[in-house]
Amino acid sequence: MIRIGIPRALLYYEYYPVWKRFFEELGAEVVVSPPTTQDMMVSGSSRVVADTCLPVKVFLGHVLYLVGKCDYIFIPAIRSVKSKVYNCSKFLGLPDMTNAVIPESPPILDMDVDVNKGKRKLYQAIYQLGRHFTWNPFKVRQASLAAWQAHLNYHELMSSHNLTPPQAIEIISGIPEAEANSSYLSSTRATIAIIGHPYLLYDEHINHRFISRLEQAHNRVLTPEMLSAEELQLATARLVGRAYWTYEEEVVGAGGHYLQNGVDGIIGIMAFGCGPDSLMMDMVRRQASRLKTTPFMSLTLEEHTAEAGIVTRLEAFLDMIYRKRRIQAESCR
Amino acid sequence: MEAYLGIDVGSVTTKLAMLDKNDELVASLYLLTEGKPIEMVQQGLKQIKQQLPEDVDICGVATTGSARYLAGVIVGADLVKNEITSHSVATLQYLPEAQTIIEIGGQDSKIIIIRDGVVIDFGMNTVCAAGTGSFLDHQALRLNMSIEEFSRRALASDTTVRIAGRCTVFAESDMIHKQQMGHRTEDILYGLCQALVRNYLNNVGLGKDIKSPVVFQGGVAFNQAIVKAIQEELNIQIIVPPHHEIMGAIGAALLVHEELLNNNNGSKFKGFGVSEVKYHTSSFQCKACPNLCEIAQLSLNGQVLARWGGRCDLWERSPSS
Repeated sequence: MIRIGIPRALLYYEYYPVWKRFFEELGAEVVVSPPTTQDMMVSGSSRVVADTCLPVKVFLGHVLYLVGKCDYIFIPAIRSVKSKVYNCSKFLGLPDMTNAVIPESPPILDMDVDVNKGKRKLYQAIYQLGRHFTWNPFKVRQASLAAWQAHLNYHELMSSHNLTPPQAIEIISGIPEAEANSSYLSSTRATIAIIGHPYLLYDEHINHRFISRLEQAHNRVLTPEMLSAEELQLATARLVGRAYWTYEEEVVGAGGHYLQNGVDGIIGIMAFGCGPDSLMMDMVRRQASRLKTTPFMSLTLEEHTAEAGIVTRLEAFLDMIYRKRRIQAESCR
Repeated sequence: MEAYLGIDVGSVTTKLAMLDKNDELVASLYLLTEGKPIEMVQQGLKQIKQQLPEDVDICGVATTGSARYLAGVIVGADLVKNEITSHSVATLQYLPEAQTIIEIGGQDSKIIIIRDGVVIDFGMNTVCAAGTGSFLDHQALRLNMSIEEFSRRALASDTTVRIAGRCTVFAESDMIHKQQMGHRTEDILYGLCQALVRNYLNNVGLGKDIKSPVVFQGGVAFNQAIVKAIQEELNIQIIVPPHHEIMGAIGAALLVHEELLNNNNGSKFKGFGVSEVKYHTSSFQCKACPNLCEIAQLSLNGQVLARWGGRCDLWERSPSS
């Protein structure tokens, strides 16, 4: 059986179910790298071209882990998934960059996704990818339809059950659900929305167990994936009109939505050196300071191994919320 | 006498403040940490004891600052609090109508925005130390003058020399360049103060709604030239409170007092005797997973008191094993 390696980084959290289903329908086996470790981060950082961002370094670390453990590595170039909405250049060049800096990598299965070029080009790209496994175009078509359905189910599962991508992927993969959230919910101190790209929010290594820390301090955590596509679109339109960046909605849309929906605080997480993020977070920050209703804080992640900076800010942010509530309650009495 | 002790162990200085049951300051200390947080906490306890009457009864102890967890284990703290909360509580006690707190310390700087007596927003500098006290210290050292002389001479400046303040390294080369061109030292020093203030306001203060009354605290508030530069830049009269350098410690003491009013199970304070014992610190690499975390541990007579530094809670969970 052909083994396809998928790095657990970048767009994994967005598209893993669709990719997995597609390859499995075509008779391949999918191998996923484990959650990020310090080793991966160091090995990935040592390979990058100058001035690349932390998530790309981590991605390359995952690719290095998969070397020797699979026959192909799947790295699509996601250029645009919506008309006239563009992706960061690092995503466009990901297969080529990986190829250049990791020459020992297994052959890269590359695929251009650009809806601006029309549906025909997209179908062609899917067929080209499928041809590695079968010559029968009908089989490829069937696999892609099944995969698309898996994608829709995955996102529906997250928004209807308030699940994070790792939780939803566990359910899809048939891993029994750990009783994570429920125990904390009984004594919730505050509801905190976190916004940002999934590859930052759910990589516990690079974000220093951010979500777990919030939950262990008895806070309810809401994430962008818990909103429906319509809610995200509507909030994005309200804040910036038309989205320019491909994954703008999970930052601007989620931020805009939660700002007006009674959460106790919003925390934005972004990567150091990310151009699009710095623009998008600023949109949310400005809106937060205009509305003055919900506290907002943004955190920048980089290769730091010390977690003190994140812990101090998190503690201060939560204290601010708890004390504000207490003082207001006292003055009402 | 009933007393509450706040200990603020920062990167450069260690501060202690003792409050009585009416929250009046009865004793305080300001020491250089000198990279030895444990020894400084011990020395601080020893020294502050001499300032206190014999019948003092320590009812609660709180620690804050970047070494708050370490200090908390050593003294047996009832409360370990972050610096932002401690500073804001102390300032509000002193000036309840304060709306903005500027705090510039040795390695980090903060801005805290307050409305109606409640913190609504804050900012801290990122890893860059360009807008902090250690930068001024470093430059004073390079010019072979004390920080007091730095402050005095910078105030004597009469023309502006513009120095790039975005980055310490560039600021230094800019400064040297201006010296070699023959500018007066006084003007360069004040230019440096202005650069630091600009850097602070553009980084830490970015997008923050700075409103009067503005309170300026932290060790750098000793420097009158910086006070002047902030006033010029903001065009607002700023207030430097008495005891501005120990506000974090005062805030911690206020917080532990407040905490113990709500639920008093007696203090965990280990007594002034801890200044006599020999703590031992060491570190090792955890090999339980590929992350290879550096675990630091604090032990006393071969018994491990606490461990830090893991990405998971493997070692924090079981300090005795």
